[in-house]
Amino acid sequence: MNVTPEFVTAGLQRANYVTNERVETAIFLALALDKPLLIEGPAGSGKTEVAKVLAQMLGAELIRLQCYEGLDEARALYEWNYQKQLLRLQADEHQGMRWEETSEHLFTREYLLERPLLRAILSPRRVVLLIDEIDKADEEFEAFLLELLSDFQVTVPELGTLRAHEYPAVVLTSNRARELSEALRRRCLHLFIDFPGLEQERRIIELKIPELDAQLAADAARFVNALRKLGLKKPPSIAETLDWARALLRLGVTQIDAPAIRAALGVLLKHEDDRARVEAKAGTLAARPR
Amino acid sequence: MNALSAELLRFIVALRDAQIAVSVAETLDAMRAVAAAGLEDRVRVREALAAALIKDEADRAAFDETFARFFGAGGGTARDAGRPASRNRAAAAGGGRGASGAVARALDEGAPPPAPAGAAGAAKDAPAAEQRSPAAAADADASAAAAGDRPTERAAGAAGREHPAGALDAGSSRPRAAARGRELPAADGADGDARRRAAARVARRTPFAAYTALEYEAAREALAPLARRFRLRLGRRLHPAPRGRMDFRRTIRASLQHGGVAVDLRFRARRPRHADLLILADVSGSVSYCSNLMLELVAGVQRYFRRVHTFVFVDHLKEAEFADGHVASEPGLDLYARSDFGRVLGDLWQRRSEFVSRATLMLILGDGRNNRRPARADVLRDLRRLCRTAIWLIPEPRERWGTGDSAIFQYAREVDALYPCGNLVELERGLERSLKTLF
Repeated sequence: MNVTPEFVTAGLQRANYVTNERVETAIFLALALDKPLLIEGPAGSGKTEVAKVLAQMLGAELIRLQCYEGLDEARALYEWNYQKQLLRLQADEHQGMRWEETSEHLFTREYLLERPLLRAILSPRRVVLLIDEIDKADEEFEAFLLELLSDFQVTVPELGTLRAHEYPAVVLTSNRARELSEALRRRCLHLFIDFPGLEQERRIIELKIPELDAQLAADAARFVNALRKLGLKKPPSIAETLDWARALLRLGVTQIDAPAIRAALGVLLKHEDDRARVEAKAGTLAARPR
Repeated sequence: MNALSAELLRFIVALRDAQIAVSVAETLDAMRAVAAAGLEDRVRVREALAAALIKDEADRAAFDETFARFFGAGGGTARDAGRPASRNRAAAAGGGRGASGAVARALDEGAPPPAPAGAAGAAKDAPAAEQRSPAAAADADASAAAAGDRPTERAAGAAGREHPAGALDAGSSRPRAAARGRELPAADGADGDARRRAAARVARRTPFAAYTALEYEAAREALAPLARRFRLRLGRRLHPAPRGRMDFRRTIRASLQHGGVAVDLRFRARRPRHADLLILADVSGSVSYCSNLMLELVAGVQRYFRRVHTFVFVDHLKEAEFADGHVASEPGLDLYARSDFGRVLGDLWQRRSEFVSRATLMLILGDGRNNRRPARADVLRDLRRLCRTAIWLIPEPRERWGTGDSAIFQYAREVDALYPCGNLVELERGLERSLKTLF
């Protein structure tokens, strides 16, 4: 498929993903150069969403590998289905099969438990592979991933080398809980997504919650934007903004004033300290846009 | 090689001059990226180059500045409307160098009329990197001074990370580093949280030697996720994993349900090996930031050890206390005394029966600068024989090991491993490798 920047822009629009040229170009390049895309940024700025939108755009399946401390190859790549092999062995024994025959079909794809990475490699169609929160995985796993990302082939001793028919589009996300190795950074295109600006956030709210009054949406975006500048423990993410806007809709709020802010603040802020701080300032924060 | 690649190569050289590490593979990526993105749209070219070349958001400001200087500022320089300031300054910088070269010309033709087009063709023959106009340089200094709250030192530290030697004479590298880091605080603007995050990020790479009190605070904030990782890692050691040695008896017993076929494998829980931790941390002025951060980290994981003994020292041993996960103040140490490792090791040898056993992981943190007193490396050898593992963590940069009064090479022979821990990232790696010896 020949990817053009316009295709990416149109695809993002179709998927209702509001973004800027930086994100568009990075996604376009990842597709055009067949390189993995490493996305960093604060929690809740829409990193994972990029992969979902990408899958939607390409009409491809999204395969997700959630990384965590202690993730190893058996969970990420493949594992032999030991129980099934054992049953087969017993059944063969009852039929009086010889070991040569048995061993021939015991180590075939049928008995392989495909984990996300192998699934992405073996898929007959192009897929989007999301490796989420790579910073949570161990360094050993990162090193293992390097090898896989460079040529998308893996060797299973009993089966031989398995190669990808089509290179998957790979998206890695990181919250920077740990510094990623330089080697991994080198192999990826890099994209940093920050919280959206005022205008961008307003458009996101309008797109995702069309039934919300336009003025209210603008005010909500402005309020959340002001919150992020307060230096809170956990600044509200985009998803939380949307939840909050939905809550406002449900509560039948018509304008953002101090009582409205107090009513649904729990949707936006998840720390008691943050809440107390904002509640104390609710009057001024609500008044400021005017 | 055509004009376009030559121009890109010169741009990459300029980036390297701005202390951004660009590998050959990334250079090739950049060429391919520009080929794919086309030259019609200036912003797209810039973002394409950024995606291929910039692997750390902290480098982004320097990249934008170099791009503007090299290819002219053009129409929409700023990422979005949120950064008008950087657009103006980039335009000013672009005027100095002039938008010359093949790429810039193509961009000028394709893009809306750029602001500094009048200067086009100016200094075409001069090598790009050093051609910063006085106006642009003055601008850099002014904004660095205006930003005020020490972004320059922080930037100097960040700049030193690819060039440890550069970090040594921080004085000479500062002006350029200042130019590089100048937009870091400005770009994040009023967003206090983003600035804090950026500060913590930079602090992780800053050598401890270049720390100020401000960076130390930022680093302490960055410790929390690290401590969490260590806890997880050590905690995992105690949980039985579904691999490793099989538990034969329990597997057979479980197989009875399946008619004697071992469908359900049972594994032996890892025997919790008792581990003691013995820490000797030099807290004299030169390495105190490093040792304090290490002690904070260790304080968070002490419950995973049977016994933790923490000694701080300058010229004699003192046991440090932990109080709810933090180091309580060190009692009665003259922090300005001269370090004496030999005496400290001797003290420990006297009291070895209390503190050292076969289960002990001994961590020593210090620069090994003994002020020309007896090193007594033989005592360290004897101590190492008594304990399980002895590891030395050294905050000094490698090229200074063994110079002057440093006895580190004498000590290095007598420990199992010597890990550098010049910044937070290295300290994390060193501690992780040390703790791995317990698994």
